[in-house]
Amino acid sequence: MPDKPSDLVQGTLDMLILKTLALEPMHGYGISVRIEQMSKGVFRLNAGSLFLAIQRLERDGLIDGEWKPSENNRRARYYTLTAKGRKRLDNETREWGRQVAAIGRILETP
Amino acid sequence: MSLFRNFAIGLRSLFRKNQVDRELDEELGAFLEMEAAEKMRQGVSRKDALREVRLERGSLEIAKEVVRSGGWESFVETCWQDLRFGVRILRKNLGFTTVAILTVALGVGVNTTVFAAFNTLALKPLPVRNPAEVVRLEQWFASGASGDNQYAFSYPEYLNYRDHSRSLKGVIAASWLAPVLATLPTESPSAKTPVEAVTLSCQLVSANYFSVLGIKTVVGQPFAERENSATLASPVVVLSYPYWQRRLNSDRDVVGKILEVNGASFTILGVAREDFIGTGNPPRIPDFWAPLDMQKQIVPGNDWRNEPRNQPLQVIGRVADGISVGQSQSELNLLTRQFAQANPEVDKTIALTLHRATYFGATDELWFRALAAGMMAVVGMVLLVACVNLANMLLARAAGRQKEIATRRALGASRSRLVRQLLTESVLLAMLGGAAGLLFSLWATKLEWAGLATIIQSLMGSGLKFAPLTPDISVFLYTLVLSLVTGILFGLWPALKSSKASLTDVLKDSACGLLPTKSRLRSFMLGTQVAVSIVFLLSAGLLLRALFRSQAANPGFETRSVFHLSIDLGDDPVKAAILRRQVIERLKARPEVANVALADRLPYAGTSSRPFLAETRTAAAKGAPGSSLLNYVSPSFFDTVNIPLVRGRTFSPQESEGELPVAIVSESTARHAWPGEDPIGKRLKLDLKFSGDWSTFQVIGVAKDVRFFNLSRTDPAYVYLPANPSQFSSLLFRAAQSRKDTLAAVRGSLSNLDRGLSPTLGFMSLDDFMRSQQLLPQASAVFMGILALLALALAAVGIYGVMAYVVSRRTREVGIRLALGASGGEVLRLLLRQGLIPVFAGAGCGLALSAVVSGLLRTALAFPANPDLLFGVSAFDPAVYAGLTTFLAGVAMLACCVPAWRAMRVDPVVALRYE
Repeated sequence: MPDKPSDLVQGTLDMLILKTLALEPMHGYGISVRIEQMSKGVFRLNAGSLFLAIQRLERDGLIDGEWKPSENNRRARYYTLTAKGRKRLDNETREWGRQVAAIGRILETP
Repeated sequence: MSLFRNFAIGLRSLFRKNQVDRELDEELGAFLEMEAAEKMRQGVSRKDALREVRLERGSLEIAKEVVRSGGWESFVETCWQDLRFGVRILRKNLGFTTVAILTVALGVGVNTTVFAAFNTLALKPLPVRNPAEVVRLEQWFASGASGDNQYAFSYPEYLNYRDHSRSLKGVIAASWLAPVLATLPTESPSAKTPVEAVTLSCQLVSANYFSVLGIKTVVGQPFAERENSATLASPVVVLSYPYWQRRLNSDRDVVGKILEVNGASFTILGVAREDFIGTGNPPRIPDFWAPLDMQKQIVPGNDWRNEPRNQPLQVIGRVADGISVGQSQSELNLLTRQFAQANPEVDKTIALTLHRATYFGATDELWFRALAAGMMAVVGMVLLVACVNLANMLLARAAGRQKEIATRRALGASRSRLVRQLLTESVLLAMLGGAAGLLFSLWATKLEWAGLATIIQSLMGSGLKFAPLTPDISVFLYTLVLSLVTGILFGLWPALKSSKASLTDVLKDSACGLLPTKSRLRSFMLGTQVAVSIVFLLSAGLLLRALFRSQAANPGFETRSVFHLSIDLGDDPVKAAILRRQVIERLKARPEVANVALADRLPYAGTSSRPFLAETRTAAAKGAPGSSLLNYVSPSFFDTVNIPLVRGRTFSPQESEGELPVAIVSESTARHAWPGEDPIGKRLKLDLKFSGDWSTFQVIGVAKDVRFFNLSRTDPAYVYLPANPSQFSSLLFRAAQSRKDTLAAVRGSLSNLDRGLSPTLGFMSLDDFMRSQQLLPQASAVFMGILALLALALAAVGIYGVMAYVVSRRTREVGIRLALGASGGEVLRLLLRQGLIPVFAGAGCGLALSAVVSGLLRTALAFPANPDLLFGVSAFDPAVYAGLTTFLAGVAMLACCVPAWRAMRVDPVVALRYE
């Protein structure tokens, strides 16, 4: 039984979704599976917060959604990263790196 | 881009709700399905897999709700839901809704009306192009003289500004309205019956008047900026819209027709647009405008160009681009000083200020601002009181909705959501009330405008015709914002309070109310409301009695058949003196004229008083007046105006011509200055120039007391001095026969005196002067009466609301008392006591406050020049005090009794069972 999932800050979740979609377009379930895999089980997403974030990203024009037939002969909505989304991801990643380094420095000083 | 996208997607959610819902269902369903499938692959049964998925990932419904409420359109949807719910709730309680709407309507309506008046007077710019650039010139004199003459400039001064200022890109001048004799344009100039000449009002303006202001015409053309010589050759006029509409039936063919004015022909060039009502301060619209160069034809006998003592023009300028008003003012001050040095005989203008041109130049002054602030404060208080009342009423009603609110909270509604919904209800109420208030104000504005105009007219004393009060967008916006604020103001506190309901408490039916039944704050507010009502009621009552008195006031002298003759004798003093003698001679020669007199001061038209000292051999009498009203009159004055001389005689012609130091005093002056003695032969001193230089006069006669200066009280002290006939003063004459015959005879005898004089001939009977003084008490009484009724209504509603709430909370207690054997009367008294104590306390305070204010107002009467607003009604009139207090007490009792009575009628068993 995995640990109780940590709570993600809203902005961070957006970033993770964008990163996931940078590799290949996928539907909501696929995104949650991928995130869980890549974080080795640390982040397990709740359906509500995941789709809320997806809706936000779509409305901001960072990802595009499209109905396509899925694996089990049903329809699913597949999302792709837009150019704007890619740019945002790059910016956020850079910014995140800076902040993490800074916090790390502070925490490491005795 | 993303904003637009967000908006577009949100719109789709709103209007294709079902489809969007289905898609969301599908997507979320697929998500959960895929997860369940994964679990099943690991060997879990389908049922268990689904259950596990729900636990770990959240249920479908909740996820849907989370996603849906993330978009902006859900906010819009909930607002719309709240609105519909609010409407339903309001319709269910029609009684409450009606009272609430009326309360808001009254409060907001009154505020809007005052604001609309203020807007027109002070905020509305002139209807010209770019009004922010247009400024009015106001000058300040070395002598300290103030009033309308601060806006009056001479022609040379106007030219000085026009030709030499660089900070103003256009300078225009407009004269006062001159009466002229004109003949309307007709089809056939050679008609059989001669066309009647009528008196029209003309305003002389500079040629660039319309072009600088940017005024367009509705037909024809305005004046072009032409050179003087061209204008003289073919003189033109522009008609004003009201005149064109009224007298010429908006005939579009008038352009090019001839208007004969004072014998000269003018061509009609065009008609100004409807919204242009002139630039006058105060606003008066003429029948037509003529160029300044035609002054000799329009106002003959005057020579404005060369007579610097004549100051007939108001000057307005348009500030050049990039220059501030302050900079322009500095430059103009420099020009003014240069001009004053070059023209030393003119009464020195020492400074100049520029005002943004509104209709009234006085809007910057302190007294106007204080008046405006005072009025807005008063009506603002009324609105505040209304809000407090409504808050109380809403709380009382919310007490009955506790169950509903508690249940909703238990079902998961957040407190902010509930507050939002309750606030929507009160804002809806306030908006409806505000709309009603706006309608009410539009109607009442006409009334109040007339009343307000009357008050200002009687204070400023001249016969103004006011511009119509047109409501504009700022009034509407003001009402909107005020309603919104009102709604939030009275709705927020009850909403916050009532949304706290905890389900357990409510379901247990414990009798906890939202407020303690005894609240000091509430009692205090109630008491204040009552106190304010009392003050208003008393003022209204006193003013009403004063109104009746004023209708019956007797001036003490003859007014109906005495007329004031106004005539323009031109600005050459020598010629004017000769003309005047001729006028007087001709008047005296007419048999229809009983008597002619000269007087410096006319009744009810301004004041003139000087410090006064009585010379007595005995110790100075305590009641001797410190200052006295003064008038310079000719010997025939007392006879003409019918003021009997009770002792002594009138002035002799030698005394008049030589201006000898003799005087005639009024009865009360004599009584107070020399009590018990014969005033004839006594001496008195007057400081005529306020300089400490006393002149001595000997008393030769005593005149009966009259109400000459002010209709509201007998003149406390009056001294008459002999007038030199060559001095400039007003002409009075008394008609011996019927008014019409006399006036026609006078007009006839003077018409051929001088061609320029007849259009300026005007008569006004002293009666008309008196009438204007009776308007002020009328207006004050009406205004105060409305306010008082309003305050009373609000107080009554407030008392009722509070009592209803208190009683509803104590119903169970009432039931217990009745069941235990208390009589109905005892319980009633118990309930009433709680409501009536603050009422009586408030009434007491109000009475005390009124008494203090009345006392203060009475001290103002010590000055002889101050009018008595109450026309002799005592400020402590017992009838008014007693009557109104009883009335208020009655209303309060009624408001208290009704809810208490209804509580009494409840069956004790029901009350005990009451849930």
